This record gives sequence, C-alpha cells and structure tokens, in this order.
Amino acid sequence: MIKFESVYLIRNNKEIFSNLNFSVQKNEKVLIQGKSGIGKTTLFKLLLGFEIIDKGRVSFNDLDIGKEHIKNIRSQIFYLSQDIDLKDGRVSDLLDEILEHNVLKNQDKGHFTDLLNFLDLSDKLLDQTIKELSGGERQRIGLLICFLLDRPVWLLDEPTSALDDIMKKKIVDYILDQEKTIILISHDNVWKKNNAVKIERWL
Amino acid sequence: MGAQDLNLLSLMSLFIFLIPVFYINRRLRLTINKTMLTSIARMCIQLSFVGVYLEFLFKFNSPVLNTVYLLIMISIACQSIIRSSNLKVRLFFMPVFFSLLIPFTIILIFFNAVVVRIDNLFEAKYLIPIGGMLLGNCLRSIIIGLNNFYSGIKKDEKVYLYSISIFNSRIQALKPYFKESFLAAITPTIASMATIGLVSLPGMMTGQILGGSIPMVAIKYQIAIMFSIFYTEYFSTMLSVLFSLKVGFNELDVLNQNIFISKG
Repeated sequence: MIKFESVYLIRNNKEIFSNLNFSVQKNEKVLIQGKSGIGKTTLFKLLLGFEIIDKGRVSFNDLDIGKEHIKNIRSQIFYLSQDIDLKDGRVSDLLDEILEHNVLKNQDKGHFTDLLNFLDLSDKLLDQTIKELSGGERQRIGLLICFLLDRPVWLLDEPTSALDDIMKKKIVDYILDQEKTIILISHDNVWKKNNAVKIERWL
Repeated sequence: MGAQDLNLLSLMSLFIFLIPVFYINRRLRLTINKTMLTSIARMCIQLSFVGVYLEFLFKFNSPVLNTVYLLIMISIACQSIIRSSNLKVRLFFMPVFFSLLIPFTIILIFFNAVVVRIDNLFEAKYLIPIGGMLLGNCLRSIIIGLNNFYSGIKKDEKVYLYSISIFNSRIQALKPYFKESFLAAITPTIASMATIGLVSLPGMMTGQILGGSIPMVAIKYQIAIMFSIFYTEYFSTMLSVLFSLKVGFNELDVLNQNIFISKG
C-alpha cells in the first residue's frame, strides 16, 4: 500500500535518506524505532507531500505523491504529529470545523460520546482552548480526531508519550485492534508487547 | 485664486529648527542625525522633482503621458511594498502589480467619472494627485497584509501543515492567517475614518482650503477620497494575498522558503 523505492533526500547538506527501501502492506502495523534525527518524522512528511524527495519514488496505493493525487492521498491519511500541532482555539469549535470539512462514516452522536468516555475526556474540556490543555489532554484530543475521522491509514508520531500507563495500555490495544494501515514512531515499549506489530529498527 | 507662493528663502528658514533638534539628539546620544538628514534631503529632492514632472504633465495634459506616469508610480509602489514585506521582488512583482492596478483603475475612473464628473477622465489635475493619494495609502495596508500573512505562516508552519493534513483543504488551512493579516491591514484605516475631523484635519483638505476652495467643497472631496482610499485598500490588500498564493506555495500547498529576502 505504501512504498518507498530507492529514496534519496538531502536537507541542509545532511543526507537523511540514501537508497531507502521500505514498504507497508494494507492493514499492517509497523513500529519504527531509531535514534532521533534519523528521519522517522520525515518519512511521514514525505507521504503527506510536506517534503519532496530528491530521487526515487514514493507511492501510496501505486499513486505517486504529487500534484495530481495529493488531495486523494491526504484524504486517506491521518497524521498525528508529535506535538499535536492543532491551531489554537476552543476545542469544540475546532472539532466542529473538522467535522464540517470531513465526511464521517459514523456520524452517530453516541459514537462521539463513547470515544470521549474511552479517552477519559470530559465535556468541560471541550470548552477550553487548545493552548490551555496539558500535553496528555492534547494527545488524547489528537487521538479523538484520529478515531472520529476514521481514515484508512494512520501515521502516529509518539502517540502515547504523554499518557499514563493505564491509558497507554488501553490505547495501544484499541489502536492495534483496528483494521487500519498504521505506521508508528514510538519509544514506548508497550507497543512491542503486542504481536500485531512489525518492528522496523533504523540504525 | 490660489495659495500664496512661498519664497524659497522663507521655506529654507524652516531648517533653523534643525539646530536644537541636532543638539538634543547629540546630547541624548540618539544616533539618528544621519538618518534624519538623509530622509530630509530625500524628501526635498524627490518633491522638487515631482514639482517639475507635474508642471510638465499638467502642461501637456496628455492621457497617454498621464497613464504612463501612473503606471510608473504603481511599479515603484510595488517594489517598495514587496521589499518592505521582506519578500523577493522578482517573484512578487506581477501579482502585487495587478492587485494594485485593478482596484486602483476601477476606483480612479469611478471617482473621476461618477463622483467628480469631469469630461476628460485623464485630466492630469485630478488623475495624478488622487492616484498618488490612493497609492500612498495602499502601500501601508498591503505591506501589513503581505508581511503578516507570509511571516505568520512561516512562523507557524507546523500548525499550518497540520491543518492541511486534517482538513485536506488549502483554503481552510489558510483562512486563519488570511483573516488575521487582512484585519491587521485594514483596521487602521477604519479607525482613522472614525476619528477624522475630531483629531486631525487631513492633508488633502488643508491643501484644498489653502488653495482657495471653500471648506464645504474641501470636505466633500475629503469624504469622497476616504471612501476611495478604503475601497482601494480593501480590494488591493485582499487581491495581493490571493494573487501571490501561486508563487508563495508549491503545488503541494507547502510554503516556498525561497520567497523571503534572506537577512544577513
């Protein structure tokens, strides 16, 4: 489903990828590990078209990442960035705006409430602004958006780093149980305990 | 009837007050004497030249010449806007030029044809001073608009890109930056319309009254000019952002980093 073929990328005179070959099958769950600065996040940015490779080919469902297909490709990928870079504003306004611009498969109000409960997010929190949230709350809002949008591919950059152990376990089990194609970047060992994950170690 | 001519020597007498200014600057170690002098010299030279051009333009009063003069004025304004916005002139010239030209032409023709009802739409006496006033005011608002828009996105690039990924819509992701920069650009003019006459008497009105118009006529012109300035600013600022999107972003909606003038 996702393919990197002989990919080369140089940024600021630093070689980030040289002859990278990497692929992910449909509904596969891949955990990428490796020290920081090795280009894990850049991998996600390439898939979203935020960075452009110097040489090689990056494809999504056999479509090249480029002007022609980018809208289609982005509509299928949910990206949770490490710092959850949501623009500031009231959480509920942001959620409304997101729902207004995305067609949801499951528009059930009950589904929304279930997700809030599952993520331990209170109604009161929805009236706060993004800036007022703690790191853990922000992470859970990011995951809430992920589960709501329900896109087929999830790119998750440290999705559990700010959560407590109980919540971590709950979320890992939930995520790995989904019929989704998921690429993960995480230093949390809790992902490895599950056999559903294929581990990709970058040195 | 006209204002009384100023004797060159009496005009020069205004330099006298530079002496205490210089003295105080030096005592307070405000290192602006040099900049101040350059600015004063530029003002005197530029305005003298304009005086000579205008005499020339008014004498011939040729529609072609007047139009060419205005186009040159727009080009200069354009360069100055782009440079002050810390953007590259080469990339932004065309978009900014047209975003000035379109509203400017429409408003100027409307002003001359419908408001003042002069027969010769290209009459130098109206075309050039009014055109200059519109341009001068647009300069400020487009600079604020373009600068806030592009530097806002640059500063906030992660958030902008994240919005792209969530909304999958460039318009939706750009909206907050557009809104913020546009409001910053036109708010000062809206505010100045609210206080005009209470605090300050605008230069154009003063000039007209000195030139012999009765106050009521000067005020009517002033109202017409304020409307025109506001409309031109409003549309040229909006268009300058819209027209420049194509050079500002690559085809995958990512901000082009090479549009900024590198400082250093």
